[in-house]
Amino acid sequence: MSHQPPLLELRDVHKSFDNEEVLKGIDMSIERGDVEVLVGPSGSGKSTLLRCINRLTEIDRGQILLDGEDVAGPDVDVNELRQQVGMVFQDINLFAHLTARDNVTLGLRKVKGLDTEAARARAEDELRRVGLADQADSYPAQLSGGQKQRVGIARALAMDPKLLMFDEPTSALDPELSSSVLEVMEELVAEGMTMLVVTHEMRFARGAADRISFLDNGRIVERGPPAQLFETPEHERTRSFFESIASEA
Amino acid sequence: MDTDSVSRDTLHSAGIEQLVVGSGLILFWGWLLARWVNDWLLAPLGVGPGAGEHIIAPSAIASVGSTLSGASGPASALVNPLGGALTGMATAIEIAPSIATAVVFTIALTVAGMLLGLVLAVPLAVLRVYGGPFRWLALAYTELIRGTPLLAQLFVWYYGLPLAVWLQGVGPIGGALPEQAFWIAIFGFTINSSAYQAEYIRGALESVDTGQLTAARAIGLSKLEGIRHVVLPQTLRYAVPAWTNEFVYLAKYSSLAAFLNVPEVYYQAEQIASQTFAYTPIFGFVGLVYLGLVLSITDGMRRVERAIAIPGLGSLEGREQGNTE
Repeated sequence: MSHQPPLLELRDVHKSFDNEEVLKGIDMSIERGDVEVLVGPSGSGKSTLLRCINRLTEIDRGQILLDGEDVAGPDVDVNELRQQVGMVFQDINLFAHLTARDNVTLGLRKVKGLDTEAARARAEDELRRVGLADQADSYPAQLSGGQKQRVGIARALAMDPKLLMFDEPTSALDPELSSSVLEVMEELVAEGMTMLVVTHEMRFARGAADRISFLDNGRIVERGPPAQLFETPEHERTRSFFESIASEA
Repeated sequence: MDTDSVSRDTLHSAGIEQLVVGSGLILFWGWLLARWVNDWLLAPLGVGPGAGEHIIAPSAIASVGSTLSGASGPASALVNPLGGALTGMATAIEIAPSIATAVVFTIALTVAGMLLGLVLAVPLAVLRVYGGPFRWLALAYTELIRGTPLLAQLFVWYYGLPLAVWLQGVGPIGGALPEQAFWIAIFGFTINSSAYQAEYIRGALESVDTGQLTAARAIGLSKLEGIRHVVLPQTLRYAVPAWTNEFVYLAKYSSLAAFLNVPEVYYQAEQIASQTFAYTPIFGFVGLVYLGLVLSITDGMRRVERAIAIPGLGSLEGREQGNTE
């Protein structure tokens, strides 16, 4: 059996904004089908890390490999790369002028070059997958927050990404609205989707993650399976963070 | 007063306003269409009063008017002004046929200037907002155009630049004929209006959440594709009210084409007035014609805004809710 590189590998990734170093050397590798949850206080660099992976932000130093290939390599078409790395946003960012269906078809038509009919059929499949087949003609303003975020997931899924990244997908939503989004995410986990998830939803982290990374001040303080980080953290900083999160919940 | 009666009051006054404007516009366009049909369709066939001839004869009104304004006696304080008004009305009817023809030029100048201006304004605004090191190009253009008088610009295009020279070769006599002046005026209005429109569109571009473009790029659209398919469709909807404003301005500023001898409304009125010295009735009537055009624009753009409205996007929804709730 041939050796396959990890789906995603970060090597000593550094990023500064102005004079502030936000990422101070991140190493991480994620295998196919793995679910990695990133946690950490706000400002710890979680979102920046995700944006570096699909090159919405360029890194200063280090390397990011997707499927063994440097994402910043000279032959890499950034628009091609972004199809392979889906992203779901905290503030959702559905295209405000398009229906749920057209939010999904836009990428299919303009990026993947599908014709209108094929794009429409695919979009309806994806909306069905997130439980919104009946809302295809609704505009974002007519959907609840949870419905919007599920359309956001459908939009990302339609591009057939190898890796799906979630940047606090439920933190802008009421708890009752989050649950529908988390259910969809759990289904994706069950289907074997490789996922990198920034979240404060500890129930999801505990139940779905293969590994949790605790990020603080631009560094990974501790990384391991959920049980380890929740119950027997090595670092005092990790323990106090998980305690503060638990007391909030 | 409870909220229910307030809303009924606003609905009521909105209804009356619509009725007045609506019937005014029907009268206005009815007159224009009747003139155009008469001048260009019926007259060549020998039907009707003939091109440029009156549909309603002004002479009867004029004679009644002069009788009344010359009248003496106990009721003269009341009757004389009425006579003056009738005389003025007769003058307006007298000049109406030539104004109706001139309106075609005013409309053509305005509509062409707006639409061609829009074609320039969209890339200008995009350059201004997303152009990076080339932003200054768009900035310099808009500031130069907005910072100089429109009339001065028209004269530069007309007398100064190769445009006039190039068109001179086309004309049989040399000096710019009205027909050439017409094209130069459209060019001038396009340039001028593009700068103003670019500013409005820039404002609308900046009001679109940056997350929209980020999300577009995250699914693999290029920056330009993201602007084209995601940002601009929202921007242009946001820009409709300001764009309507510019449309209204240009309808009136198109009168500056008179200085290039384009036979539009103001030019015709000025020509007639300088011969008859009946400035008040002539320009009173011309004012009404511009008012008719402006109300047509605002009414038409309100329809456009409604037709392209999307739930949750732009200001229309809020305004309409304000009217009905």
